[in-house]
Amino acid sequence: MIGNLDLSFFNWELVSNFLAKGFYFSIQLTLIAMAGGIVFGTALALCRLSGRPWLALPAATYVNTMRSIPLVMVILWFFLLIPLLIGRSMGAELSAIITFTLFEAAYYSEIMRAGIQSVARGQVYAGYALGLTYGQTMRLIVLPQAFRNMLPVLLTQTIILFQDTSLVYAIGAYDLLKGFEVAGKNFNRPVEAYLLAAVVYFVICFSLSSVVKKLQTRIAIIR
Amino acid sequence: MIEIKNVSKWYGSFQVLTKCSTSVKKGEVVVVCGPSGSGKSTLIKCVNALEPFQEGEVVIDGTSVGAAGTDLPRLRSKVGMVFQHFELFPHLSIIENLTLAQVKVLNRSAEAARDKGLALLERVGLTAHADKFPGQLSGGQQQRVAIARALAMDPMCMLFDEPTSALDPEMINEVLDVMVQLAQEGMTMMCVTHEMGFARKVAHRVIFMDKGEIVEDATKDDFFGKPRSERAVQFLSKILQH
Repeated sequence: MIGNLDLSFFNWELVSNFLAKGFYFSIQLTLIAMAGGIVFGTALALCRLSGRPWLALPAATYVNTMRSIPLVMVILWFFLLIPLLIGRSMGAELSAIITFTLFEAAYYSEIMRAGIQSVARGQVYAGYALGLTYGQTMRLIVLPQAFRNMLPVLLTQTIILFQDTSLVYAIGAYDLLKGFEVAGKNFNRPVEAYLLAAVVYFVICFSLSSVVKKLQTRIAIIR
Repeated sequence: MIEIKNVSKWYGSFQVLTKCSTSVKKGEVVVVCGPSGSGKSTLIKCVNALEPFQEGEVVIDGTSVGAAGTDLPRLRSKVGMVFQHFELFPHLSIIENLTLAQVKVLNRSAEAARDKGLALLERVGLTAHADKFPGQLSGGQQQRVAIARALAMDPMCMLFDEPTSALDPEMINEVLDVMVQLAQEGMTMMCVTHEMGFARKVAHRVIFMDKGEIVEDATKDDFFGKPRSERAVQFLSKILQH
């Protein structure tokens, strides 16, 4: 069985014709969803920690809802609902980018919430006592420390996010996995293509994980 | 300078401060002492509204702290505060700790702030550590930086919340020395501390608190000479034994 595998179709031409475009989109989706998710997630975390029910409650509801629905359903529903709302499709790629940003924000928000809570209350007092406003205290004192404390966890979440981008197959967006799938069909070697896809995802994620582990020991704030 | 009038505070149904009234005049050094849990730290945090209070009034230099329209950040920028656990910003270097609020709150130029910061570091004897991070300094050094950070704002008065309680014994004096010098220069100071030697040396008045109430508010000589309340006598006998 294993002997029947034929990997000879895997060459540079295949990479440039089928995989590069998909790989580029997967990376783009990961980076945008990470940046957007962290910004939106931090805002959600600040709302939840604000002590004001009219901010905390909607934010908590949003986070808990997103965390209770499978990602693939959110991807599908957003893709299917948007044409009904705005009258036309926005395209699978754009739809995926928005969905991932909104979905990942819920997860990043929980990480940032833990990060903000990991910064001692006294730091907030010290900021206030110097005359800093709430916004300045958060931006200059609390969030940099929270971000730094949580950087390894944020990056780990990003690696998971990269793996999850393969779920855009549900709406037919052209990502890395799709590239392999199309190549497999073209060369009539679907099993080999999926096998290679797994290896590529594994190599990328495993090396990123090792980098995060190294980073973890290096960036800890000296206390 | 600081007027505290009938301040009461509750955590839920638990009353932590009961009708506390006192004042600190310009140039005066007032030491607040009392057993732990007596509300001294809470009271001093009420002065610059780090802790809200439900009843009474705190007025600093004519501005009511608890009033609705008060610009709290502006008011706090004029009141220096030093904390028990230093609370230096661990992600910033020592000099950045000193310049941050000068630039962001007082809108000083980066250069002016740096000059001011370095001058104050020299004053507390830590110029050589300007580019280190807080975690690289000893507790005593960190607390001296914290005092310099507060002074960098040119405050009109200083609040000290148990500044030496978290320090190893051999580091207490280096911090007290800075505080004594500050007091002798005429800084208005309100200090929560158990350092009775410090109180004897520079305090004008001593306030004794117990169970959220101000039990004694007397001049230094009266307080150490003839404390009127039983509780103050007991407290003094306990902490002055050794």
